[in-house]
Amino acid sequence: MPIINLPNVRLHVQELNPEGRETIVMIHGMFSNLAVYYFNIAPMLAKHFRVVLFDMKGHGMSEKVQTGYDLTSMTNDVRDLMDELGIEKAHLAGYSYGGLVALKMATRFPERVGKLAIIEGPDPSEQETLTIIDTYSKEFLIHYIENFADTTRLLAGKRQLEKNHQMYEFLFNETSIRSDMEGEKGFFNDPAVAEISHETLLIYGEESNCVPSGRTLASRIKNATLLLAPGDHNVPVQQPEVIGTELAKFFLKDLNLYQTDLLMHH
Amino acid sequence: MDQLIQENKLSKEEIFETLNQFISEVIGEEFVEEMDISPASSFTKDLEMDSIEIVAFSEKVKNHFGSNIDFTGWLSNMDLDEIIQLKLENIVNYIQECQ
Repeated sequence: MPIINLPNVRLHVQELNPEGRETIVMIHGMFSNLAVYYFNIAPMLAKHFRVVLFDMKGHGMSEKVQTGYDLTSMTNDVRDLMDELGIEKAHLAGYSYGGLVALKMATRFPERVGKLAIIEGPDPSEQETLTIIDTYSKEFLIHYIENFADTTRLLAGKRQLEKNHQMYEFLFNETSIRSDMEGEKGFFNDPAVAEISHETLLIYGEESNCVPSGRTLASRIKNATLLLAPGDHNVPVQQPEVIGTELAKFFLKDLNLYQTDLLMHH
Repeated sequence: MDQLIQENKLSKEEIFETLNQFISEVIGEEFVEEMDISPASSFTKDLEMDSIEIVAFSEKVKNHFGSNIDFTGWLSNMDLDEIIQLKLENIVNYIQECQ
């Protein structure tokens, strides 16, 4: 199992098409893991790009750590991972909280980011996640898993429920995740967000509560395009082909002639 | 020559035993003991594996059976319902065909 030792944390990483000329780093959301991309969306992108997937700290098969769930620490992890893999510059795709991590990367390390794709990035001042954390219970969890968690459709049974229960218990009760997320409430109003100049694609589910967040970002980031896809907050799970196709189109657009030539001869 | 090929090819039983071992490494022996894993076991319903466990399982399959088995590529051609229906014997057959 590819576990990579970074200065601050050990992360589970999966790479597809390591020979690809340009790299896309994909960041999953809170309470999820890299599997949200692994089976459909990542293989579609890997036809043209090197694709790097990783489990965030405390998630999936990465190290369980008690602190550092804020956007600054999370982006330190992404930077360290890129350093470790020898990636000077990468396109980023982030889903939900992972979308906020991608945005933060563009504000902190603009020269290391190519294009930006944000899927369902929630405005942290509005999002209900914090309320959700407060009302957390096992009963709630069952409901949450059935309706909201983006790994849900592959879940079933007692062992899985128990496993998820333990993950939430750990993250909510033994880590700083609550206060770290609360500390990011003002993120959309950070002047650095309005200064992002990267070409940005914002994909939101047309039924999602997060659409207003997408509109806010579209109005603040000057080089951004908002795209509504059929679905809600779980749109990458509901419509992986649509999301994969749109991401591939976006990342392939305006590749230089040499690369286009390469693609045509593939 | 024929014999060489014969020796290199694993039987379905051997492949099944290997996959069985991977499953217990991924989900833990204590859970496997309670289950009756058979070729007809489905990954999500019978074995209750979630997507990240299937990722770990895929990794083991790739490392063990070699890179000419594009297990992830094979899975990525399936839609979610097909993955949910996926049985151990489907994978055994796929690996045997690739040999």
